[in-house]
Amino acid sequence: MTPLQHYLVLSGALFSVGAWGVLARRSIIMVVMCLELMFNAVNIALVAFSNYANAGAGRGEVFVFFVLAIAAAEVAVGLAIGIAMYRLREKLDVDELDEMRG
Amino acid sequence: MHFSTPIFYLVSALVIIPAVLMVAMRNLIYSAIAMIACFIGVAAVFVTLNAELLAASQLLIYVGAISILILFAIMLTRRRSGAICLFFHRQSWAALPAGAALAVVLGIVLGSARFSAGSAPKNPSTANLASLLFNQYAFPFELASLVLLVAIVGAVLLAMRERRS
Repeated sequence: MTPLQHYLVLSGALFSVGAWGVLARRSIIMVVMCLELMFNAVNIALVAFSNYANAGAGRGEVFVFFVLAIAAAEVAVGLAIGIAMYRLREKLDVDELDEMRG
Repeated sequence: MHFSTPIFYLVSALVIIPAVLMVAMRNLIYSAIAMIACFIGVAAVFVTLNAELLAASQLLIYVGAISILILFAIMLTRRRSGAICLFFHRQSWAALPAGAALAVVLGIVLGSARFSAGSAPKNPSTANLASLLFNQYAFPFELASLVLLVAIVGAVLLAMRERRS
């Protein structure tokens, strides 16, 4: 059987790709999509721990359900902010959002 | 080497390759399609971890709902001249080394970590998951629906706001 560490390394790799995307891309929609990648990476780690844990098997999967619900809410609000930003200034560039810069 | 290890590497490639393509591709529509492929790969990972219900939920929620929502947002924010092609910004050259460094650190730490968890999976069943979700975690489960309701109302309020001229 595949060791637990393999799944954790896969999760870490996916999380890093998501972090790269969040840092590198300019479009606010792309940033939201890369955040979803990071959510998925965390879900993989949670399910792997849930599957290999000695005690309390299945609790990690319950947690993943709540992560799914919160991720859906986050996507809806994030995309609504993107659309409101587009309505306001016809742009999606996160670099343009600098009104609150000190 | 056990039979499941080659399958794990195949499924990992199904997750990582679309993810890298998604970040690297210029067109937002292509990125969204790569993201859908990556989500299907994650569902396959859940199947290899004996989490069939979560794999189905992943397909329904991520591939079915969230991807369509993102595609709609991309379509709604098109310019008259075509899709907005924002790509990398000023600090992007630093993002790839930062992401690679994070990957190396996470890989070393997670790959060498030793847990008290056994090396063999315990295969928690869907019935076990359901009894946890509807007995011990019933109240948080209902609370999640409230969070979703608030998020829906907030999203509608944000997106429907009229432009003040």
